[in-house]
Amino acid sequence: MSELLVVENLQKYFPVTRGVIFQKELGQVKAVDGVSFSLEQGKTLGVVGESGCGKSTMARCLARLLEPTGGTINFDGRDITHLSRKSMRPIRRDMMMVFQDPYASLNARKRVGSIVAEPLEVHGIGGDNDRKRRVQELLEIVGLNPEHYNRFPHEFSGGQRQRIGIARALSINPKLIICDEPVSALDVSVQAQILNLLKDLQQDFELTYIFIAHDLNVVRHVSDRVMVMYLGKPVEMGSKRDLYDEPKHPYSGALLSAVPIAEPTAGRARKQIVLEGDVPSPLNPPAACRFHPRCPRFVDGKCNVDEPELTPASGGGDHLYACHFPLERWPMGEDEIRRVPALAGSTE
Amino acid sequence: MPLIEVTDLQTRFRTDDGIVKAVSGVSFSLERGETLGVVGESGSGKSVTFLTVMGLLEKTAETSGSVRFDGEEILGLSMARLRRIRGQRMGMIFQDPMTSLNPVKKIGWQLEEAVLLHNDVNRKEARRRSVAILEEVEIPRADTRIDDYPHQFSGGMRQRVMIAMALINNPEILIADEPTTALDVTTQAQILRLMGRLQQEHEMAIVMITHDLGVVAELADEVIVMYGGRVVEQANVDNLFAKAEMPYTWGLLGSLPRLNLETTRLEQIPGQPPSLLHPPTGCAFNPRCAYAFDRCREELPELRPAAQEHAHLFRCHLGDEERARIWAEKKAAFAAAAGSAA
Repeated sequence: MSELLVVENLQKYFPVTRGVIFQKELGQVKAVDGVSFSLEQGKTLGVVGESGCGKSTMARCLARLLEPTGGTINFDGRDITHLSRKSMRPIRRDMMMVFQDPYASLNARKRVGSIVAEPLEVHGIGGDNDRKRRVQELLEIVGLNPEHYNRFPHEFSGGQRQRIGIARALSINPKLIICDEPVSALDVSVQAQILNLLKDLQQDFELTYIFIAHDLNVVRHVSDRVMVMYLGKPVEMGSKRDLYDEPKHPYSGALLSAVPIAEPTAGRARKQIVLEGDVPSPLNPPAACRFHPRCPRFVDGKCNVDEPELTPASGGGDHLYACHFPLERWPMGEDEIRRVPALAGSTE
Repeated sequence: MPLIEVTDLQTRFRTDDGIVKAVSGVSFSLERGETLGVVGESGSGKSVTFLTVMGLLEKTAETSGSVRFDGEEILGLSMARLRRIRGQRMGMIFQDPMTSLNPVKKIGWQLEEAVLLHNDVNRKEARRRSVAILEEVEIPRADTRIDDYPHQFSGGMRQRVMIAMALINNPEILIADEPTTALDVTTQAQILRLMGRLQQEHEMAIVMITHDLGVVAELADEVIVMYGGRVVEQANVDNLFAKAEMPYTWGLLGSLPRLNLETTRLEQIPGQPPSLLHPPTGCAFNPRCAYAFDRCREELPELRPAAQEHAHLFRCHLGDEERARIWAEKKAAFAAAAGSAA
C-alpha cells in the first residue's frame, strides 16, 4: 500500500498582536510545532490530546483551511503545502472533513438534499437529476431514509445529523476524511452507531481517516496508529497495540489511566495517575520538555533543560516517544511512576 | 430514614402537539453519604426527574407523586419555602459551567451572593467562606482568583468553581447533571476524585446524572437506568455490572468502546430513543429490542425483582432462564474480546 499522506515537521504559529492600526507583535502561539507522520491508504491515524493541544489546528492545516507556517504536507504524491486556492481545488475533492458539532456544522436554512449535494455543486459534478440520485444513494448508505431529502436539519436528532455530515463528506468520493471529534457530542449508544458506520464505510470505499478525539476508548476502537499530542507536539506515536499496551510517555500513561472503566471491580483495583493542573498556555510554553511542570517523573536539571527528541522504542521501529525517563512497564501505580530509575550518575 | 425518597413521580408538559410524558412513575430513595448514578440517553427523562425533585421546572409542568426530603414533603411547596431548602440543603452542578456562571460578575461576587442569601452574615464573612471553599476545591491562589471573571478560568477550573458554589452552604445532597461530559479525560479524573473526597468529608449524598457507564462504575453505589421516562433497571452498582437484567442495559454496556477490550464492531442499539409525545405501546424499548415478542408490544412490563437479588429491579417480559442465557453469552463475548486485546 502506498502512503497517501506524508507530513513533515508541520508548524502553525499564530501571531499575538496588540493594537488595531499599528499592530505590534507580542509573541506567537505555537499551536502546532513540528508534527511529522505518514499515513497509508485505507488506514486510520488517531490523534489524542487534551483541549488546547493543537489537534484541531493540525487538522485544519492538513485540509489547508489554515495556512501552515512551516513544514511540508505531501498528499497523494503531491506537495500541497503552498498550493494556491485555485490549484488546491481539484485536490479538495479528495479530502473532506467531518466536524464535531452536528448542530453547528449544517446550515439550518438549507434542506438536507442541498447540504449533501453542495460538494457536488461546488466541483461541478453531474446535472440536477444525477445529483439528486447520488444524494439519495448517499442517504441510504449512511442509514437515513432517502425520502428525507427535503427535510431541514432541525428535524433530525444529533446522531442523524452526524450521518448527514458524513454523507456530505462522502458525496465526492474522497480518499481522505478528517474527522474532528465526530462522536464527542453524542450519547454512547449513538456513538456506537456512528463508529460502526465509519468502519463499514472505510471497508467499502477504501477510505483513509484521520480521527481526532479526546476519548482514548474511541480512538482505540477505530485507529491503526495513534499519535498523542501535548501542547502542539507529538509526545508518542505508535501502533494501537504499542500505545495501549506499552505506553512509554508518562503523559500517555496518565491519559490511559484517567479513563473511567465500566467495570466496578476493575475500576477500583486500577492504579490511577491523576495529573495536576491544566495544560499550560501555548503562548509561553514551559522550556525543554513541555510536559515537565505536570509530569510525575520530572527530574530537575534534565527535563527542564534538555528537550527530548522523538526516539524509537526498543521493541519496534515505528513506536516513537519523546521522554528522557520513559515508563518501564505498564500499568504503573502513582508511587512507582515517581521512582525514576537509572538517574544515579547521569545528573549527579 | 432515607435523606430523599421519591415515590411514583410523574412529570408532564402540555404542548401544542399533545402531552409529553417526560417522567412516568419514577421511585427511588437515597441515604446520606451515598451516591446514586442515573444513566440514560438524551430524552430518557433523567434530567427532568431531578429538576422536578428540586422544583426547578416551569409552572406549565404538571407534576404528581411524592418527594420527601429528610421526611418532609417538598413537591408542590411554595417557592419561598423551596428556595430556603434548595439554597441551604441541596446543591446542583450543571453540565456546562460557562453557561451556568454569570459572565459579567466576578466569581467572588457570585459565591458571596449564595452565602448572603441564606445565612445571616456580613460580606466580610461571606468572602472568607468563599475563599475557604475555593481552597477546598483545590483552586490555586484562591485569595486572588476570587476576583477573576469566569472567562479567566479554564473549563476544569470553572467546573471547580461550580462545585464550590454548590457546596458553599454545606448541602446534604449534591445533584450533578453530567458534570464531566464537557471535560477532557484528565480533567474528568481530577473532578471525580475531588467529588469523592468532598463527599467523604461532608457526608453528602450525591446524585450523578450521566450517560457514561464508566463514570457510574467509578463513583456510584446504586444505579438507576432510565428509558422513555421510566426506570427500567435499578440495582447496586456491582450487581448491575455483574448481571444486567434488561436488554437496554445490555445494549448500553455493549455499545461502550472500552479500553480493556478490543472488538471489530461495537454492539449498537439500532434506531432512536422513543418520542415521549407518542411513546410506543407496551415496553418503550420494544421497537429497538432484539428480543421483543408480541407481549412486549402490548403490555408494559412491571418493575420486578431479579431472581437471586431482590433489591435488583428491572422491567422485562423475557423469562429468567432466557435472560440468564443471553447475559451469559454477552459476558462470554466481552471476556473473549478482552482476551484477544491482552
